[in-house]
Amino acid sequence: MSSLIRLEVLRVLRNRRYLFFTVFFPAMMFFFYATSFKNQTFDGISYKTYYMVSMATFGTLSASLNTAMRISLERKSGWTRQLRLTALPGWAYVASKVIAAGVVTLPSVLVVFGLGAVEGVHFPASTWLGMGLAVWAGGFVFAAAGVALGYAAAPDTVQPITMVAMMAMAFLGGSWFPVTGGLKSVGQYTPVYLYNELAKYPVDGVSVGASQVIGLAAYLAVFAALAAWLYQRDRKTV
Amino acid sequence: MTTSTEAAVNQDSTGADRKGFAAREANGRPHTEVAAFRNVSKDFGSVRAVHGSTFTLHPGETVAFLGPNGAGKSTSIDMLLGLKDPSAGQVTLFGGTPRQAIMGGRVGVMLQSGGLLPEVTVRELVGFACKVHPRGYAVDDVLKTAQILDLADRRVDKLSGGQEQRVRFALATAGDSDLIVLDEPTTGMDVTARQAFWSVMKAQADAGRTILFATHYLEEADAIADRVLVMHKGRLIADGTAAEIKARAGQRRISFDLHPQDGGDASTLNALPGITALDVSGHTVRISTSDADATMAAVYRAGLYPRGLEVTGVGLEQAFITITAEATAAEGN
Repeated sequence: MSSLIRLEVLRVLRNRRYLFFTVFFPAMMFFFYATSFKNQTFDGISYKTYYMVSMATFGTLSASLNTAMRISLERKSGWTRQLRLTALPGWAYVASKVIAAGVVTLPSVLVVFGLGAVEGVHFPASTWLGMGLAVWAGGFVFAAAGVALGYAAAPDTVQPITMVAMMAMAFLGGSWFPVTGGLKSVGQYTPVYLYNELAKYPVDGVSVGASQVIGLAAYLAVFAALAAWLYQRDRKTV
Repeated sequence: MTTSTEAAVNQDSTGADRKGFAAREANGRPHTEVAAFRNVSKDFGSVRAVHGSTFTLHPGETVAFLGPNGAGKSTSIDMLLGLKDPSAGQVTLFGGTPRQAIMGGRVGVMLQSGGLLPEVTVRELVGFACKVHPRGYAVDDVLKTAQILDLADRRVDKLSGGQEQRVRFALATAGDSDLIVLDEPTTGMDVTARQAFWSVMKAQADAGRTILFATHYLEEADAIADRVLVMHKGRLIADGTAAEIKARAGQRRISFDLHPQDGGDASTLNALPGITALDVSGHTVRISTSDADATMAAVYRAGLYPRGLEVTGVGLEQAFITITAEATAAEGN
């Protein structure tokens, strides 16, 4: 099991697409936002903080959803079949994907937070740690979604579906700019919105309602149940 | 129990582990069967892919699963490995379920295609297979046996087709498995690569392992296997040595030239005893017969003077065609 996780992590870190969408792109966007908004504030927090969190969650979202493409391709290529012919238990494949997602999201969080500190975002250590943990833990919601999508879609359709889902969720979730008005009335129920809100909770003056935590947990439960069901269905048809 | 298996083993890399084989047998239910199909059928909707298949694999055998595409070979192998459940009947591997045998590391499998992971090196992939095998070998030994030490640091997604096959073979032999299953292992290999592959495989058989391979190359079944299982349209229609199957088809081919001045016509030839097929093109006569001696005696008795006479036994290929034709005819009745 640990050897499978190691293999997964190695593969992701070697993937250029991962480096671009998960590490480079969010860092670049944060840099762009930080220089444009300077010291303006929104809703009681600085734009720099807002975008630092949004871009960290975006990197995590991207790394987690990327799981879908891998699973879909590996089902097609027969790797999942080959694994079923080893002594590894059946769930080890999915578990290693989720755990590897948990590992490969860390670089993007560290890079964006590091840039944030350089750009003058100041927090006590406990706040940094709290935000980092929230971003990291929230990523598992989307890792579960990635697993479900990976078992639902064929390789030739999984890439556009993942990209559209990721961009739409990030847009409605306020990753690119704070959603207000009509957009917010819809957006506030989407998973990335809840994720962004949760990730900012350690910042002073930000409050997160129980309903938002419950909302995100509900998304996790739904995605995980879907993933489990699709995984079982797949094992019967291979 | 499996004395022949133990006696056959003298390689130091496996010797210690083969004692483990006996121990595993003593711990589990005593059995002399590696795998058993008991009246196994598999339906996909209204299509019956495998029809009442019954056979047993014994320790140390090298068995070919022979049949054209769509004969039910792959479905049978999937059921043997527990990737598919039979619709009816029972499949056992080492006396238990396929999954138990695989969890115990008793089966190494080489898939026909795919099954390789991109973005890792050959050493990383094979090393992984060694680690997850309950009795895995050292990765360098496995690479050496599969003759891919020189590819160890290459990326798996940058290999040629023949190199990929050798990596798949390495995955199948990453640990001390008692049974090795290969699904069309030499597909896409050239003749030299195929020969090299089978010489490596032979060493695995000599180490006492049971080997089951699916193939549609008849010469491979003929040259490599101790035993051939012939599948046709989902049915197991023959089970024996290559020689037995050839004998069962019982055919000889006779060819000769017949000039007009030497007499004879189509009706004379058609009346020959034992004849099953006749082909006359120009002066050349080709006959398939179930009794070559009687056929030729009658040719001479009729006063014909055949020139350039050749009598040949049929290869496994011809036997295969005969047996499958019989099976198709029997089905029609």
